[in-house]
Amino acid sequence: MPSEPTTLLQGTSDPLILKSLATSEMHGLGIPRRIQQITGGTFVVEPGSLFPALHRMEDQRWTSSFWGDSENHRRAKYCRLTKAGRRQRAVESKRWARISVAIAQALESS
Amino acid sequence: MPLVAKARSFLRNLFFTQRVDEDLDQEVRSHLQLLTEENVRAGMPRKEAERAARMELGGAEQVKEQVREKRLGNGLHAVMVDCRFGLRQLRKNPGFTLTVVLTLALSVGANTAIFSLVNALLLKSLPYPHPERMGTIYTRIVGSSAASDERHNVNGEQWELLRDNVPALISAVSSGGTSGVNLKAGSQVEYVHRGRVSAHYFDVLGIQPVLGRNFSEDEDRPHGPNAVILSYTLWRNVFRADPGILGQSILIRSEPYTVVAMLPQGATTPLNADVYTPLRPSRSGEGGGTNFHAITRLRDGATWQAADAEINRAWLSRPHPYELGEFPGAKLSYYSVSLQKGQTDSLRPQVLALMIAAGFILLIACANLAGLTLVRMLRRTSEVATRLALGASSWQIQRQFWIENLLLALLGGAVSIGVGYLALNELFLLLPEHFLPVGRVPLDGHVMAFTLAVSVLTSVLFGMLPALEVRKVDLRSSMTDRSGVRAGSVRVRQALIAGEVALTVVLLAGSGLLIRSLIHLETLPPGFNPQGVLVVKASLDDVRYHDPAAFRALLDKSTAAMRQIPGVQNAAVGLSLPYERVLNDWITLSDGKETGTQGGTDELYVTPGYFDTLQMPVLAGRVFTDADSPNAQHVAVVNQSFARKFYAGSNPVGRYINNDILIVGEVADVPIASGLHPVAPIQTEQTMYIPAAQMEGPSLALLHVWFQPDWVVRTAGPVGGLTAEMQRALAKADPNLPASGFYSMKDLLARTLTTQRMEVALLGAMAALALLLSAVGIFALVANMVAQKTREIGIRMALGSSLGQVMMQIGSSGVGAPLLGVVLGLALAAGALRVMSSVIYGVGVYDTATILVVVLTLLAVAILATVLPALKIARIDPARTLREE
Repeated sequence: MPSEPTTLLQGTSDPLILKSLATSEMHGLGIPRRIQQITGGTFVVEPGSLFPALHRMEDQRWTSSFWGDSENHRRAKYCRLTKAGRRQRAVESKRWARISVAIAQALESS
Repeated sequence: MPLVAKARSFLRNLFFTQRVDEDLDQEVRSHLQLLTEENVRAGMPRKEAERAARMELGGAEQVKEQVREKRLGNGLHAVMVDCRFGLRQLRKNPGFTLTVVLTLALSVGANTAIFSLVNALLLKSLPYPHPERMGTIYTRIVGSSAASDERHNVNGEQWELLRDNVPALISAVSSGGTSGVNLKAGSQVEYVHRGRVSAHYFDVLGIQPVLGRNFSEDEDRPHGPNAVILSYTLWRNVFRADPGILGQSILIRSEPYTVVAMLPQGATTPLNADVYTPLRPSRSGEGGGTNFHAITRLRDGATWQAADAEINRAWLSRPHPYELGEFPGAKLSYYSVSLQKGQTDSLRPQVLALMIAAGFILLIACANLAGLTLVRMLRRTSEVATRLALGASSWQIQRQFWIENLLLALLGGAVSIGVGYLALNELFLLLPEHFLPVGRVPLDGHVMAFTLAVSVLTSVLFGMLPALEVRKVDLRSSMTDRSGVRAGSVRVRQALIAGEVALTVVLLAGSGLLIRSLIHLETLPPGFNPQGVLVVKASLDDVRYHDPAAFRALLDKSTAAMRQIPGVQNAAVGLSLPYERVLNDWITLSDGKETGTQGGTDELYVTPGYFDTLQMPVLAGRVFTDADSPNAQHVAVVNQSFARKFYAGSNPVGRYINNDILIVGEVADVPIASGLHPVAPIQTEQTMYIPAAQMEGPSLALLHVWFQPDWVVRTAGPVGGLTAEMQRALAKADPNLPASGFYSMKDLLARTLTTQRMEVALLGAMAALALLLSAVGIFALVANMVAQKTREIGIRMALGSSLGQVMMQIGSSGVGAPLLGVVLGLALAAGALRVMSSVIYGVGVYDTATILVVVLTLLAVAILATVLPALKIARIDPARTLREE
């Protein structure tokens, strides 16, 4: 059930952005929309945190970017994962899995 | 992440800022369009859709700024922006920038030049393999009656013990310096510098000949075979680097020497000679006294401690420990010192004194620059306040100021390397050849690093004060108050000026004393007529002239030929001339109540025309004539000091010395460079003249190793081509006798006083620089006060103050600080100048005339530097300044 949108928790943006790019390249608006979709509308990525994150990832060479045409034939900047980015996605997923298990355990124990 | 990729992003962000920014701009714009279209598709009207998109984006500029802050290299980018802003600021204030850069260039340049000397002399390794394993030997005498600690020259006996009984070291000895000799190869005659060295000398230095071999022990024995090793320069210049010369015989001192080796290009030795011949040290003759210089190299596996123990055991166990004769009860020991230190020890105090003087210059420059930047900072108070109000952090403003200072420091540092290079070249023009024990004084990496460090240090020092002031900037008051003058900052600047003037006083007084002392030495009563005299020197260290008859014939023929030169009034030869270093000897008085009295005296041979040619007054008796021949009565002429020293001033004519030498005349004293008991570079002391004709063979051979005789002619006026004529006259007597140099009496005096002239030139230049910097500092202070107080001055004048009163009031702060500085400086000088007492002559450390000149000079400069900017007050129009507010 969709709930009230939440802004991203610290440290969640990287795995989500990497995940959203996993299947195909995507332009700047596509990424937040995709995140909204795969998290069932729980997370909304604001442009104010999306842009710096995308630029940082590109500086780190996890993604590469190019200018292409959007579905409505508008020029848009696209991102795709590099080999390093795929490796990083695996790292981030594992890390996140560890954290979520740990938090779940912590909250369940009384 | 790969480093290369990171670096690429970093550089792209740094240097293609504009493209990166345009890219970002497009990206944000396209995002906005995509959002809008999404909204339109959802059914919003276009206007509504655009608004919603902008709201979702949340401010395009903010998003862009967030990206920029996250970028790689953002910190550096900010610094670059600061740098660019700083450079713009400096360009906008060319007067300030120029003053600071010039001040830095002069002061750091002076330090660069002096530090190059320190670097070359004291810091750089000697140009030999493993210089840290090379040494020389010092003696330390500890005792109640005497204490000394100095480089030890060895005698023949000590040399043998060092060679045979100290297995920890490879040792070698050499002559104390080089001597000029004549070299003949084919028809070519050359005057060259010869160094005499023992076997293994080049082994100790670690120099392998480029061709041939080092001296054998057989060649180093007395009466061994004659062998010679050529320096590369001589081999190339005289023999055109012909390898065929190896094994050939060349004539040195008219004796055949076999060439056994050539040294490699660039090889230097402590002697720096053109040719090397075996020293052949023995216990007699030269080896009877401590006349050899020792150099040592530690053998593999040995330690210096072991070597020192072996040296002490070898030398102190001799049957006759004569070194302690003059110091009863003293304790004697020997120890090794690195060759580097041994070679430069005597120059160390001078070089360090120069370094201190250069440090003074730097402090003075710092004081000036601190004052200048402080004023500049205060002028920018409102700018700072505005930036603070707009949200700049105190750190950002500080960073901006430090970056500007650093830019100035780097700019000044770059210029100062050029200044240092020029100054060093000037210095070399002053120095005689072979004055420094090193071949080159390079501006190498060490020097560059030093200059950079000093520039940056200077900028930190002078930037500190204004930086502290920034923290005190108060937002409210500085935004409203335009003038921004604070009494506190003026007091700080006055204190800075007083401090720099005090240091200037010390430098001026020091150089003043050196100048007075040089003038004293150069104007000593000569006791002869130095005008109209020309001298030519040539080496008689030549086996042909060991024969007294050949020697006499040469002197007769050459002086006769010189008298034939048109315009020449008289000609003569002497072993030495006034102002020159002179031989000394030990004599015994042989008659009257002084019988048996012994003492040291200077001694030289002269031809009969010597006294006439130099126009030395004869005080009693006669001078020599041609009748004073080898077989006639042996005679001597003595000087006034001799009569005073040995005969209590009574007439010495008719007295006998050394059994059978009759004193026939007394002449006036002339200044010489004493070898007997030097208390000043030149002085007068007891001297004995002997007829050249009465010299004996063995002493001629020895004397001419140490001294080159002078041929001297007197002319009535200037004679064109006189040197060529003298050379021809000399060649007429002996075609194989090259002249080693031509001199006037002034040249000879200058040669002897080289050290003093150098000291005056160096310290004088520093003092002048200090004076200039102080003047600039005072000028800047007063000019600035006039500028800042324009309004106050306007009000005063409107209220009826006269121009003179206002100028006095402003000027008093310009003269007051230097006055305080002079007083401080005199107190400082009273303590500091005492160390100079050993290098000044004929003038006391507390010389009233010098101090008076220093004080008057500084006051004159202070008044001038105050009056010039204060004159601007006259141009202040009270009505206008008041309207301006």
